[in-house]
This record gives sequence, C-alpha cells and structure tokens, in this order.
Amino acid sequence: MKGPASGLIILFFFFLWAGSVPAQGSADLGEASVRFRSVQADFVQEKHLRILARPIVSRGRFVFQAPGNLRWEYQIPLQSILLMHEGRVRKFTGHNGRLVEEKGLRPDAMQVVLGEISNWLDGRFSDNAAFATEFRDAQTIVLTPKKEGLRSFISSIELKLADKAGLLDSVTLFEGPESYTLISFTNRALNKEIPATVFTSP
Amino acid sequence: MKPSLFCLSATLFFLVSCATESRQHLPDLAPAGDREGSQACTDFFPSGKWQFVHSIVFTTKDGTGSTVIGVTSLNGTTIASALVTVEGMTLFAAEYRDDNSFEIQRAVPPFDRPGFATGLIQDVRAVFQPSAGSAIRAGKLADGTPVCRYTAADGRVTDIVTGAEACLQVKSYSSDQVLVRSIVGKSCRKIGSTLIPEYVELKTFGHSAYTLKMTLIRADQIQGGLQ
Repeated sequence: MKGPASGLIILFFFFLWAGSVPAQGSADLGEASVRFRSVQADFVQEKHLRILARPIVSRGRFVFQAPGNLRWEYQIPLQSILLMHEGRVRKFTGHNGRLVEEKGLRPDAMQVVLGEISNWLDGRFSDNAAFATEFRDAQTIVLTPKKEGLRSFISSIELKLADKAGLLDSVTLFEGPESYTLISFTNRALNKEIPATVFTSP
Repeated sequence: MKPSLFCLSATLFFLVSCATESRQHLPDLAPAGDREGSQACTDFFPSGKWQFVHSIVFTTKDGTGSTVIGVTSLNGTTIASALVTVEGMTLFAAEYRDDNSFEIQRAVPPFDRPGFATGLIQDVRAVFQPSAGSAIRAGKLADGTPVCRYTAADGRVTDIVTGAEACLQVKSYSSDQVLVRSIVGKSCRKIGSTLIPEYVELKTFGHSAYTLKMTLIRADQIQGGLQ
C-alpha cells in the first residue's frame, strides 16, 4: 500500500538522523558520519493526535549497520519488525502469537530510502535533496521537506541532539496542527559488531 | 462449436452457482412477544464519551493486506476516526457528525479515494453505534437465537444477535435483504455498564469484500470534554 510504505520512508528518515547527525552544524558532518559503522538504541514513540486524550505509546529497538542494513522493531503495543538487508525490505507483523510477513510494500519507495541512507552516511547532509535544513540552536535541527510529495506526509522534523556527537535524544515528526510523533532514544550504542542475521531474520 | 458452448455454459453455471452460494439473505424473524431483548442489544454499544485504540489487520479477498492502528473517538454527537501506521504516520483522519456530514482532516493515498471516508464510517458505526432512527423488533431466528432487528427507513436491516457465544454479533443487510457486513466480537469485558470486546472481526461481502481483524489496545471512558 502506498500510504503505509510512504510512512516507512519517514521512519527511515528518523533512523538516518539517529545515525549520522553531527553535534555542531553541517561542517562537522563528514567527520562525524565516517565514524559510524553501526548504531543501535531503544526507543519510545508517542503518537499525538488532536482527537486523542492520551498519546499512543509504542516501544521498541532499532539497529543499523552500514551500508544499508536496518532492523526497526516495535515490541509493544503490537509486534512489528522492519528488516532491510542488501536492498531488500521486508516487514513482519505479529498475528496470534506468530510473525507474518506483510505483502505489498512498494520497492520503488524503498529504493528512495536506500538512496537517502547512502547519502547521509557519506556525509552529504547539507545538500540533501529531500529537506531544507535549519540549525536552530546548538541542540536543535529543523528539517523541512522541499518536495510537495513529502510535504503531504510531513510538515517538518525536529531533531534534538544528545551531548555526544552524532547521537540524538529525540526526533519529532510534525504532520500538522496538533498531530505529531515524538521518538525518544535511550541505551544508544555505536559501532558494535552486529551479526547479519539481525537484519535477515525476524 | 459444441465443446465451446458446453464450456461456456458450464462456466456460467459455475459462476452463477458461486454467486448464489456466497449471498446470504435476511432470515425470517419470529416475534418474541416483548421488547426486553431490544434493551439488552444496546448494552453492546458504548454510550457517552469514549476513545478506542485498536490494531487492525486489513485483508482483501486476494489475501493482500496490512496492519494499521485505528483510533475511534466517540463524543455524543460526533465520531472522530483516524488510521495510523505502526510507525506513527497518520494515513487518514476525519470527523463525522450525526447529520451524516463529515470533514476529512487528512487522507494520504490510497485513503483519499472517493468513497473511502463513507465506507469507513459505515464500518465504525456498525461496530460502535446502534442503528439510529430505526424501528426495533425483538424476535427469534428459526434456531431459537434471540435477535434485535433494526430496520431503517430505506429498508436496510441490522440484526444484533444476543445470547450468542460471541459477546457481540451484528449482521447488516442491504435494502434488498442481502448480507453485506458481519461483525463478531469476542472476549468482552465490562467497563461501567458497557461490554467492550477485546477482539472484533468485521467482514464485508460482495465483489470488493474485505476483513478487518481488530484487537483492542486501549479503551478509555472520557469523563471530561473531548476536543
């Protein structure tokens, strides 16, 4: 389905920043990005909607290893695992206690995502084709989509940088008035060796 | 050519047979003699202000499908509904009013298709609201199953089966009395005076049939006002 697949694109943008953002401005990016072979973290995701009295809270873990290996896993409230390995993207969702692979992910959308990942890991940050970048302060970067297609999904992304260079405290994705998703990262680890099966098996 | 004619006839017969088999019609209802049952029918529908969050597995006839998170907010005179990906992206959001008007706040492809918003509210209302403005008749099916039958002015019929093994069972028929939607709720728990099913399976019938398997993540009875 085009919609959910496009949502996955945004998810990957989250991930990209978590793995490759420098602490101070775009000038440091090339140096910072070179250091990252892998990054992993736990995350808490809060989905806020105008109609919701309380946000929907999800928890999970993501693992990334260059070049282009990703595991983005939700553990609660429902199990969902997105795997990316050697250009192949698969998604599994928990049904009745077992993981079932979802069909219908659009490979063209995924190729866009892979291209973006490569760009960012190569340190090509400020000339990103997808977003205009604003360094609001030492801790905050705001990304605004350049293209109308992406703007229909998201109005802006706010990145809060951690003290340690290259890591993020949180990402907030704004869709519109009173509708946003906040992802906060904890237990972050850089450059650990990760077995390939993490990206191939749910 | 005779073989071709035979094949064509056989194919048509097969297709007609299949079509006939797949269509279920409104069963006869014997009067129950009182209206006590109709009161019990409304126990399955939440009254007042509620918010529900479900995981929804959407499956079409060809087996393709996806999982989304569904948000339903009941506010007396309005119903707000949203579909969100597991990753947090809002795919669709709309608010529906009692006069059948609605406002779409967000709809990304393919949820911007004409008719999607209307179809969604029909499903949402079927799960969360008794049929408004309908004549109610309590009765029993041929096998003795007690039923509350709501008949709308345009001839559409909704049967709510009470005393069934499932804690919520609703069947909706078109004005020509063909089954168009069935809902089965299981593992009900009582919140206040309302029975809330932990699991709901909604099936539609016809050429664009689909199934929604809804697992309750959260049910909140809202004491204050909703926005």
